[in-house]
Amino acid sequence: MRRYIPLLAAGVALLSGAAVLQLKYAVQEQSSQVKSIARQIHLDQEAIRVLKAEWSYKTTPSMLQDRSLRFLALMPPHSEQIIVSPGVIPFRLNVDDEVAPDPGVLLTTGPVKPRAKKKRDSRGFRLQISEKIKHKIEQNAQVGEAL
Amino acid sequence: MTMLATSLAKSSNGRGSAIGAKANPYCLDTADICQNAMSKARSRLLMGIAAFFLSFVLMGARTIELGFSEPMAKRPVAHQVVVEPVEFARADIVDRNGEILATNLETSSLYANPRMIEDVDLATRKLIEILPDLSEADVRNKLASGRKFVWLKRKLTPREKWEVNALGIPAFQFEREEERIYPHGRLASHVLGYVDVDGNGLGGVEHFFDARLNEASQRHEPIRLSLDIRVQYALADELEAAMRAHEAKGAAGLVMDVNTGEVVAMASLPDYDPNNMRGVGDLERFNRVTKGVYELGSTFKTFTFAAAMDHDVIDFEDEYDATKPLRISRFWIRDDHPKARVLTVPEVFAFSSNIGTAQIALDLGTDQQKEFLTDLGLLEPSNLELTEVGAPIYPANWRKVSTMTISYGHGIAVSPVQLASGIATMVNGGRHIPATLIHKNSDWVDGRQVIKPSTSQKIRQLLRLAVTKGTGGNANAVGYRVGGKTGTAEKAEAGGYNRKALISSFIGAFPMDNPRYVVFALLDEPKGTRETHGFASGGWTAAPVVKNVIMRAAPLLGVSPVEEDEGLYHRVAMMIADKKKR
Repeated sequence: MRRYIPLLAAGVALLSGAAVLQLKYAVQEQSSQVKSIARQIHLDQEAIRVLKAEWSYKTTPSMLQDRSLRFLALMPPHSEQIIVSPGVIPFRLNVDDEVAPDPGVLLTTGPVKPRAKKKRDSRGFRLQISEKIKHKIEQNAQVGEAL
Repeated sequence: MTMLATSLAKSSNGRGSAIGAKANPYCLDTADICQNAMSKARSRLLMGIAAFFLSFVLMGARTIELGFSEPMAKRPVAHQVVVEPVEFARADIVDRNGEILATNLETSSLYANPRMIEDVDLATRKLIEILPDLSEADVRNKLASGRKFVWLKRKLTPREKWEVNALGIPAFQFEREEERIYPHGRLASHVLGYVDVDGNGLGGVEHFFDARLNEASQRHEPIRLSLDIRVQYALADELEAAMRAHEAKGAAGLVMDVNTGEVVAMASLPDYDPNNMRGVGDLERFNRVTKGVYELGSTFKTFTFAAAMDHDVIDFEDEYDATKPLRISRFWIRDDHPKARVLTVPEVFAFSSNIGTAQIALDLGTDQQKEFLTDLGLLEPSNLELTEVGAPIYPANWRKVSTMTISYGHGIAVSPVQLASGIATMVNGGRHIPATLIHKNSDWVDGRQVIKPSTSQKIRQLLRLAVTKGTGGNANAVGYRVGGKTGTAEKAEAGGYNRKALISSFIGAFPMDNPRYVVFALLDEPKGTRETHGFASGGWTAAPVVKNVIMRAAPLLGVSPVEEDEGLYHRVAMMIADKKKR
């Protein structure tokens, strides 16, 4: 047993030496990578300067106006088109007393429901359901009844 | 430590004696020699142990020391790598929103080593294909010269550089250089100025802040101007359109924040492209807004009225006789829009009566008038951060007739920036704030109080009514509560005034219930058109420019259009009798 200890120790020493060497190479590689990244960052920063200048050249107001005239049907806004406070926007979705969990509420079948809808209308909210959804809801109701 | 050492020695001793006590199989015969050898070996072993022990003690001590010491000052390899900063020779200039107005970019200049060229003709031909503006004979001479170094072209575009590189001729080489780029071209050229080929500022802000821009420690900190490039464009675009429509010789315009004195936009036409100064003459370089001084006409009446009201010389209820032209020594003072009747003070202002204003100035007095204009800084050059600043012109001998003509803006010439500064003082509650081109972080600056806040309020009412009921109707941008005053002055020539050559201007402020910006427009010798019924006066030529600028710029500046509170002007409006039909 004792004879193996020096062998083992030598083996461990060799291994650890190799590992340290390996580590050194790995670190060298990493550090050269870091250096190349740093170089790249420097180049990118220079490129960003150029791109910023180019961006401000390409978005200079006269250029934008020219593009807008050519490709968009936009005009300078009139003062009537500018809304000063959001309060004057005519319809607003009021989340709290909106769509009840029962989809049947949306159907205008019973005599009570139109009144509810009218109430909403008076608040300036217009409910629009596409025909497709309406149809789906009706179908669901039928299925429920059949079951 | 000593205890340990002795115990170790003992144990080794013990072991040694144990071995000695045993019949040593290798030293049967010569026990003595054997004993000697053993004791020698033991003492050597002891030395070895001591050496090891010492080194372990050292290591232990070092470990403890490390444990108590500060963290290592030396950083790992990765941290030693620093990204080298991008170096450039001159700081950037940006507008108030950080938009780049001037920046330094790397370019390359092409040089050649003619000794390395084998086929001069081929190289010349290929180079001329890429850079057609070079002269072929010149390039050929240079390449055939046999020298070691010849410049071929300075400041190539990246594309040209790439193409030259693609030729694959090793004799063509590049030298890194920097070029000052103005991405917005002509826009704000008079504010920015320009640089020479070596990057020295020669005009505008580039010249005024030349040392600061070149200062190595501040190169990474751009200069932030008060300009807003979007508003600048709106102003320049509208001025250019008006200048073309009225065939004017030149135009000038200004937008200024009344609460901070910041110049948000400043345009002078004709202008130039600072990227290419070749062939730009003095006319284009001339900054009409700061360097040009003009007799600005009726816009000056605002100051006369403010001075008179602040000294309690007049009030809204007072009346002045404007039935016939006024004669003073050999001059006649006439009205451009004669009403030929007695006018109330608001009417004198709204209808821009020279006769009425001259009488007000007489009631005010020469000294008060002069003092007031001095207080407003109208009698000395503006402190704007430009070297192109013109000094005002006014009579050295301020006589009675000067008082009268200066009251309506003749006989005194000031630069537009001074006028705008003065009007800003009139409407912002009376605080005189020097005009500046540098962005201020606050949106309120305390200034020297020149007029009472109550006077400022009255002036605001008058300015608003001059637009709604008076000569400035064409400036009424619906929703933005514009107030302002027209100004039409004949150009002074040798021996008198030229009735045909006008300086038409309009100074407006908005919104009048809480003024935030002053907008000024001036046209140099405009001509009447069919749309203006042949008129070339300020109300017909310059006022629409101000209106359009306000319509375009107000949403950008955060002024929202609201319905006007008519009650603010009700009392004064009642005093203006005949409303103009429009």
